[in-house]
Amino acid sequence: MIKVENVHKQFGAKNVLCGVDLEVRDGETLVIIGASGAGKSILLKTIVGLIKPDMGSVKIDDVDITKCSSLDLHKAQKKIGYVFQEAALFDSFNVFENVAFGLKNLTSLNEKEINQRVVQCLAMVGLEKIEHLKPSELSGGMKKRVGLARAVAYQPRYVLYDEPTAGLDPIMSDIINNLMINLRKYLQVTSIVVTHDIKSAYKIADRITMLCKGEMIFNGTPEETKHTKNEYVRQFVEGSSCGPINVDKTFGMGRI
Amino acid sequence: MTKKNIIQSIQLRLFSRKMDKVFFGKLVSFLEGLGQATIMIAETIVCIFRGHIPIKSTVSQMVEVGWRSTPIIILASFFTGMVLALQVGSATTNLFNEPVYVGTVTGFSLVIELGPVLTAIVVAGRVGAAITAQIGTMKVTEQIDALYTLGTNPIKFLAVSRFLACFFMLPILTVIANIIGIYGGMFLTTSLWDVPSSIYWSEVLDFMTVRTFIHGFIKSFFFALIIVIVACQKGFNTKNGAEGVGRATTSSVMSSMVFILISDYFLTSLLVALKIK
Repeated sequence: MIKVENVHKQFGAKNVLCGVDLEVRDGETLVIIGASGAGKSILLKTIVGLIKPDMGSVKIDDVDITKCSSLDLHKAQKKIGYVFQEAALFDSFNVFENVAFGLKNLTSLNEKEINQRVVQCLAMVGLEKIEHLKPSELSGGMKKRVGLARAVAYQPRYVLYDEPTAGLDPIMSDIINNLMINLRKYLQVTSIVVTHDIKSAYKIADRITMLCKGEMIFNGTPEETKHTKNEYVRQFVEGSSCGPINVDKTFGMGRI
Repeated sequence: MTKKNIIQSIQLRLFSRKMDKVFFGKLVSFLEGLGQATIMIAETIVCIFRGHIPIKSTVSQMVEVGWRSTPIIILASFFTGMVLALQVGSATTNLFNEPVYVGTVTGFSLVIELGPVLTAIVVAGRVGAAITAQIGTMKVTEQIDALYTLGTNPIKFLAVSRFLACFFMLPILTVIANIIGIYGGMFLTTSLWDVPSSIYWSEVLDFMTVRTFIHGFIKSFFFALIIVIVACQKGFNTKNGAEGVGRATTSSVMSSMVFILISDYFLTSLLVALKIK
């Protein structure tokens, strides 16, 4: 179980997270929605230990990673796979080396087993015979799928997705959504997905939560999200520029 | 006090406060960078002493720093040697009607000063910039974060190999620069003034001792540390996308050059005081 309690994070004068509480139960898929700059990615990076919160705790299976030793943090990170928004594949490595990277560092598999696992993971994301290609030779969708294969190759218990469908066409988005559903179905992974894509959220989520101005303002099932009276959620779900979520409707022209 | 004077006094105070803020902001950012660099050096040294050395990556970095920098070092030092010989030869011809001590001055200048400094500046421009751009690009494309999530310490993965490569290859490049520079001087002296090469070599070697070589050699180790530490620190702290990578790279090269030139004075003073000259 992942438990986030009263997490605060400030960058300069800006409060990005203001007392966030979150609980992700084993086996469920939690989708975090929210406007750009609401702090979703910061929250995800705090959960994986990339950013240390100013206050509060993040517990991975009852181990508080904000206060534990670097060895315990390393152990906790072994349980988590992270899918980056832009895939974050290592430029100097080919696809095989990218997917095998975590296996070499986080598992005790031998070379033969690593080879098998890499081929298996790439097949699972629908990519075959591309092991020798460099990331620069892949399309956006392929990069995301290789990133996904790399994150799940060492069979983590938790997978965190940062905007997995951003910048992809609707067909590729659906392929990625199905992959996430299959991962849960076959590998029983617990997932936290940060997304703007409401269609995707409805399809994959067990629970949807909304982050606004650094606070969790909504928590419910996809059905509850569809019928909620919360004005912030309604504005976001409907994609309207009119509502309580402040946006600069003049695109900065007002300052001219 | 007139109204105009009061306004001027307020404006002056506001300006002074603004300047204080800018100055302290710069000071804090410098100290922050110094602190980060110290932590990075400590982590790198711990990794090296624990034997956490990525062999393959270190060898490839050594090729990058050493082998690939050799042509430019040869070119730069050969011409520097020729220029030195030309200047010394012209000056002594004006004074004594013949070029004397050309080998001595060329050899001394190259071995104790120009060889190490010139090599360090060329390597800072070529290798330091490449290190900052590589690490900086990895930072802004979240590849450094990906290393963390995949159980790898980025210092171990990126800094250790580059640290070792610079530390061992820069002194070797300096020796190459010294030798080629002296040959450059010889080429000019023998071809322009028909001075026999044996005389040139005796001038070079007569006043040179092992300590003279050690003087330049020690400097090159320090310069290597400056280049790699500045380059890695700037790379790991890159922000704001492609623009940030460009800014970090420029800043890395400029800072390395400034630190090399400033530290050269203090190192020379120390080595002279220790009679290593």
